Amino acid sequence: MERYLMIARSVTQAQRMVRVLEQNGIFCRWFKAPTALSSSGCGYAVTLEEKYLSKAPALLEANGLIPLRIYKKVNDGYEEVSS
Amino acid sequence: MIYLDAGATTLEKPASVRRAVEKAVRTMSSPGRGSYPASHLAEETAFSCRTEAAELFGVSSPERVVFTENATHGLNIAIKSLVKPGDRVVISGYEHNAVTRPLCAIPRVERVIVDTPLFCPEQAVEEFQRAIGQGADVVICNHVSNVFGYRQPLEEIACLCREAGVPLIVDASQSAGVVPLHLEQLGAAFIAMPGHKGLYGPQGTGLLLCNCECNRPLMEGGTGSVSRQQTMPEELPDRLEAGTHNMPGIAGLLEGIRFVRSVGVEEIARHERCLARYAAQKLQELPGIRLWLAEKETEQTGVLSFVVEGRDCQELGELLAQRGVAVRAGLHCAPLAHRTAGTLETGTVRLSPSAFNTRNQIDQFVAELSDIIRENVRF
Repeated sequence: MERYLMIARSVTQAQRMVRVLEQNGIFCRWFKAPTALSSSGCGYAVTLEEKYLSKAPALLEANGLIPLRIYKKVNDGYEEVSS
Repeated sequence: MIYLDAGATTLEKPASVRRAVEKAVRTMSSPGRGSYPASHLAEETAFSCRTEAAELFGVSSPERVVFTENATHGLNIAIKSLVKPGDRVVISGYEHNAVTRPLCAIPRVERVIVDTPLFCPEQAVEEFQRAIGQGADVVICNHVSNVFGYRQPLEEIACLCREAGVPLIVDASQSAGVVPLHLEQLGAAFIAMPGHKGLYGPQGTGLLLCNCECNRPLMEGGTGSVSRQQTMPEELPDRLEAGTHNMPGIAGLLEGIRFVRSVGVEEIARHERCLARYAAQKLQELPGIRLWLAEKETEQTGVLSFVVEGRDCQELGELLAQRGVAVRAGLHCAPLAHRTAGTLETGTVRLSPSAFNTRNQIDQFVAELSDIIRENVRF
């Protein structure tokens, strides 16, 4: 199962992203972003399955929430899929 | 003790507030600092508190709800974000030192004071219109006077500010939880409020509602975010929340806000106002009493000030305290309000009930005061 990570600007924004997505039936959770994905240090990410990726960003944007970047989890790291 | 000083701090809290504080001490660490349950619980609690506050006060998103230590802290952030040296700032004649002292600390600020009489909202609106029309960089106004319970015509003043494009800072210290308040509808730049008064949270809590892109931190430090960056994050709430959060306070505040929402702001206001007006009715039967009571109920909350002819208000406060009645006497950290109302030299005795007070307690308070006056008891 492919997993994707959406990088949030703060823990509060990550929490709100999860709230919005869950209210729309998208199961996800937030956690501290891997160091490799937070170039400015100590970031937060929301992780979700690939099947939700087509509608999640639009839902977030409709609520004024734009992820900083979106990554796909690959074998030994992460690959940016959108910015 | 009969506690009638909710205008300073609501002493009696809902049981849920006490339980939440105790639980937070045992179970919560710092939000945004770890990946373990104690940190997550703190994060969820902080987020719930922001969310419930945003819903109660008409804030577009929980990120715009910033935790502060008290209303003074929030007002300092707001004032120092918007007021520059040399600015012309229009304020009401009923502001607290939490507004006037920060303004005095900014060089060359010109204060324009709209010092209209108590309970004359139409005149206040006219004077604000005139003052704003003559040029204003910022307007600052409290929603309710902490001395007299005077409910200022905030909606109309906010409308004037919107039309003139002047940012408005609201001090909601005496109105949060007691008078309906909606940030988006007002269009205010900031609303500052304490957590420990009408929101029934613990002391050391407060909220700053932000509707302004100009947010200047009072303090810099760790936020658990963008740590490599050596300036504060641009994002709210992190930008204004340096250092570890007061999680027991925030957990208690969350339950306080839930209490207010469950009882209803209007219901709490009605209860407190009824008690104050009942007290006024009883007090007027005593000799030498002068009190400040609005003719229209809607122009005053449950805060009531009075003096007794020939008696020092501080002495009355002391004597009442000796008899188990807690009120606040003096200038209430608001000399400007007293100057405007003509009570700067005497001060007043203020009673301010909460949702937990009863008519029976008002009767006991009046009986004690009556005894002090009639027996001419001295300190």
